[in-house]
Amino acid sequence: MPASSDPIIQFDHATFGFPGVIALKDLTLAIQAGEFIGVIGPNGSGKTTLCKAVLGLMAPVEGHLRIFDCACDELRCHHRAKIGYLPQKGVVDRNFPVTVLETVMMGRYGAMGLLKRPGTTDRLIAMEALAHVGMERHKDTALGHLSGGQQQRVFIARALAQRPQVLLLDEPTTGLDMTTQHNVIELIEHLHQELRLTVLLITHDINMIRSRVDRLILLKTRLYAAGPPGEVLKADILREVYGKDLVITDKDLIIVEDYHHHHH
Amino acid sequence: MLELLSYDFMQRSLLAAAMVGGLCSVIGVFVVLRGLAFVGAGTAHAAFAGVALAYLIGWPPLLLAILFGLVTVWITGWVEEKGTMKLDVSIGILYTTTMALAILFIGLMKTYNAEVYGYLFGNVLAVTVEELKTISALSIVVLGIILLFSKELYFISFDQEMAEASGVPARMMFFLLLTLVALTVVVSLKTVGAILVFAMILIPASTAYQLTHSLSTLTWYSMIIGITCAVGGVLLSAVWDIPSGPAIVLLSTFLFFLSVLLSPKRLRHSIGSV
Repeated sequence: MPASSDPIIQFDHATFGFPGVIALKDLTLAIQAGEFIGVIGPNGSGKTTLCKAVLGLMAPVEGHLRIFDCACDELRCHHRAKIGYLPQKGVVDRNFPVTVLETVMMGRYGAMGLLKRPGTTDRLIAMEALAHVGMERHKDTALGHLSGGQQQRVFIARALAQRPQVLLLDEPTTGLDMTTQHNVIELIEHLHQELRLTVLLITHDINMIRSRVDRLILLKTRLYAAGPPGEVLKADILREVYGKDLVITDKDLIIVEDYHHHHH
Repeated sequence: MLELLSYDFMQRSLLAAAMVGGLCSVIGVFVVLRGLAFVGAGTAHAAFAGVALAYLIGWPPLLLAILFGLVTVWITGWVEEKGTMKLDVSIGILYTTTMALAILFIGLMKTYNAEVYGYLFGNVLAVTVEELKTISALSIVVLGIILLFSKELYFISFDQEMAEASGVPARMMFFLLLTLVALTVVVSLKTVGAILVFAMILIPASTAYQLTHSLSTLTWYSMIIGITCAVGGVLLSAVWDIPSGPAIVLLSTFLFFLSVLLSPKRLRHSIGSV
């Protein structure tokens, strides 16, 4: 639950997009430190745009976005390092010749600044991050030799090595088998509790996170609904957003069939 | 063989080859990892057009080679960043345009100029003391900058967006990398030539890539392979009286195929798939 009253990320009537294309319109949203937030919505609903905005890579064309009390285009390197980011799978070349420890050490580079060499402290922080995800034994293993779930753990460790306040995860379970998906989500929940991290988790899998998050944010090129999962996951709201892609079985189980996602 | 080594010109060419081989193979690591292979080729031909223009109007060749090389890589980088055109298309256009300019400039010359063709095919055995000094100075500058910014350059080669998101000035580093590629090409032009410099950048790094899973080891392997091939190629060319550029490149290619055959990555893969 919110640990302080000052939001660490604040969207104020913020619109994002390119000339002629609006990706996310008129978003007003405050994220408090320590919250665990799930971001859901169909493909093209603006989830990735939200992600880029929070990373300070995309400034609003209208309205305001403040991160750590800075306008997002004023974010400096040391601010950015406070947001640990796990990109979507497939964005990164997983066969890149790099060891697990080398990968996690990269998480230190931003905060360290230019012209500085990683030292003992950075190495300790990286090892600590690996311990948090249970991968310290694999530190000298090639990244490409790990399974999909293990690679995700390493990338989470890289984000943790930044010593972040916010953990931003873009579809962290995509392409993993069911057991591994559960393990990764449990790890994220554990990190949220143990390290008191603010977590923004972008996902297609509503069922996986509904019992774990404090708040759900439902996007469809604008903020469609936000609140505790019980308030957002209502049949009428979801049917409006997902249309015929929504299947409801029994009373509790909600399955969102995302054809673009599963059948490519 | 030993007698050969006592000649001044031979010592100069071995030194030049070692420096160019080392420099190209180190920058090559980042070129291969960041997927900029064709930028190297495009830049080499642009730099050659600069040399041709320099001979036409009587300017220092090195200056115009650097200028043409830099403008080409910066345009390429800018186009990639804008995302308005695929990288291979923009390089393809620049590559052929600069080559057309080179042919035009050569055509406009009143007399046949063998020196210009030296830059196209390279002749390490003809390296002068002055050129050796220039190669040394530029090599120190480029390697020094790589050493200073190695962690950022590795990170952007791995994942530029991720690097930017975590607070590394990724765009600046990308343009720095492009600039270093252009400088390396220009440094190497006289030694290995515009056509073959591309191979010197690409092959040692790709050979090392077959042999290791660690970034730091990759760079060391690449450098050792690059220097070995350059020096070995020069010696072969002197002993067998064959052109030095092709000798260096064919030796590199031979080692590359050997590394593919013996690659632990490949062996692991075939064991795993049995």
